[in-house]
Amino acid sequence: MSDSTPSRKRSKWDDDEEEPYVAVAPPSKRRSKPKATPESADATPPPQQSTTRQSLHSRYVPPRTHHPPILPSRSVYCYERLNQIEEGSYGVVFRARDKQTGDIVALKKLKLDEEKNGFPITALREVNALMTCRHENVVGIREVVVGDTLTQVFVVMDFIEHDLKSLLHLMPSPFLQSEIKTLMLQLLSAVGHCHANWILHRDLKTSNLLMNNRGTIKVADFGLARRYGDPVGVGGMTQLVVTLWYRAPEILLGATTYSTAVDMWSVGCIFAELILKEPLFQAKGEIELLAMIFKLLGAPTSNSWPEYSTLPLAKTISLPSPQPHQLRQKFPYLTAAGIDLLLSFLAYDPDRRITAEDALQHPYFTESPLPKHPDLFGSFPSAAAGEKCVHLKDPT
Amino acid sequence: MSYPLASLSQIERTPSIEDGIPADLEQDLRAYGCKLIHQAGILLNQKQVAVATAQILFHRFWFVTSMKHFGIGDIGMGALYLASKLEECPIRMRDLINVYDLLIQRATHSLSPKSDSPFKYANMSYFGSTFYELKDALVVSEMQILKRLGFNVHVVLPYGTLINYLRVLGLTSEEDACSRAWGYLNDALQTPVYALYSVPTIVSAAILLTTRHMNIPLPSTPPNCWWDLFDAAWEDIWSVCGHIMRLYRSRTEEERMRVVGMLNKKEVRKWLEDKAEREAT
Repeated sequence: MSDSTPSRKRSKWDDDEEEPYVAVAPPSKRRSKPKATPESADATPPPQQSTTRQSLHSRYVPPRTHHPPILPSRSVYCYERLNQIEEGSYGVVFRARDKQTGDIVALKKLKLDEEKNGFPITALREVNALMTCRHENVVGIREVVVGDTLTQVFVVMDFIEHDLKSLLHLMPSPFLQSEIKTLMLQLLSAVGHCHANWILHRDLKTSNLLMNNRGTIKVADFGLARRYGDPVGVGGMTQLVVTLWYRAPEILLGATTYSTAVDMWSVGCIFAELILKEPLFQAKGEIELLAMIFKLLGAPTSNSWPEYSTLPLAKTISLPSPQPHQLRQKFPYLTAAGIDLLLSFLAYDPDRRITAEDALQHPYFTESPLPKHPDLFGSFPSAAAGEKCVHLKDPT
Repeated sequence: MSYPLASLSQIERTPSIEDGIPADLEQDLRAYGCKLIHQAGILLNQKQVAVATAQILFHRFWFVTSMKHFGIGDIGMGALYLASKLEECPIRMRDLINVYDLLIQRATHSLSPKSDSPFKYANMSYFGSTFYELKDALVVSEMQILKRLGFNVHVVLPYGTLINYLRVLGLTSEEDACSRAWGYLNDALQTPVYALYSVPTIVSAAILLTTRHMNIPLPSTPPNCWWDLFDAAWEDIWSVCGHIMRLYRSRTEEERMRVVGMLNKKEVRKWLEDKAEREAT
């Protein structure tokens, strides 16, 4: 509207002050209608800007010009389709070129044909979460474009060359400790950012972490993301989240009020996978997964997880006898600090599981070897861009 | 993350004004559409956060679309459906359609010659087309809102900010003042201000109206103006107050009936044609 930099001229204010008082005080006072420009109301202090005031502005109250305008979706024909990247249950992903800027982007077509309940709430959550969680290490959403009919909706995202899962498969030797630290710091800062914005990702896994050729990972696929509140789980949350291998024990045991800790468990599984070059818990079903977790970490006790017995499915599980964790055997070359961090991610009690913010401060990241600068990472041929690749895409 | 606000050109010439709908009629139709959303929300026992979000999306929509092309009834219904999903309290299509059918019938009844007799709701017939027509309208409205807002449906509600500001000003002990300011914020949802100004400005306006009505003195002489604390500009606050107070202007019977009879785009188009004829003769 009018300029949002408030004017500062003082002398005129005293004059204006009396009149508005009279104008508003009687509740039923009829105000004549200012025409198209309502802000040209009675009290218009003279426009004079001051630089001192600007600096006093709270960063929570950005000037009006910082708000985006209301802009309709553009047409998908603003993009030129290049090649198909992948197809999933949610829809198809294409690589495309912005006809105006020449930028290469990823176009994700949403499946809307069989919708009985209007625009799917999951797609809505995904678009919203991506728009809310803009971050260096979250895949950037550029816009949402539409086709000719109302059933054609495409999410336009930055194109990123690799996903971490195929990369782990493809690369001859695992990541170095220094590289793992860099990747983990990026992942943690992205997850911390999402949590700070009240978004749970709920599907963190290596195939949902994209990586470019400049050593930067980006969290992608917010298809299961949703807002959470405090208190959590208002309205109840589903247990059908997170790919099995990365699923936290409280979800496996039927909790409906889980929170940010479920993402941190997944982060722990990813950390282990980066070291091992293969997923930590490759279970075929929930029961097998719980058995594997209990075997690696020892069965939960009333000390390590006080609320265990109150969980809906806890009674159906018979716990093995308590034993210490086996992480040292599984990760013989990891430092004590690394084991400690992994153990903090994989803490049974969600309340005691480390938060993303705290994990960023963990001593593991400040001990030798230090995190490697992203620019020093190697690059690989991108399967998604149709570049030469020695390895076929994993069917999962 | 900041939420979208209408641009200056969108405000000066709204699509409806471009199509010949007078500004005051557009404002009244917006307010009426929002009242219907509110009524539907109450009948559905829906949370206020979803109702308020729906009303804000509804107002944004009319900065990119003319009322000649979409009816306020349909878009209100679509906005409430969409907002319920956004606020994680989705409602059933069938329930929403039933409620809007009732509201539309009641509006039609109030216009009919028999408007003195008590209103009785006639259920949708089992084999009738009403349900499917409303369902189509609902799905289209929801999609059109998303498309025309560029899928940027991020909304920030003012209530938390209000509590914060009332605390800063030491007004939380005055219960009347709190509920009155809260009421102004809710009433403001019927005006376009949430698509025009940032939340701190709107909340400051609600507090200004409250303190003046209740004669609560606050530092208002420069350089000690309370609204400076909240980074709100006086002229913006004043404009928001104007929007809210105009809502309470008493309307003539004719003015009130006029909006009730323009729930859908057909009636708006007819009104525009009649107007063109009136102007031609």
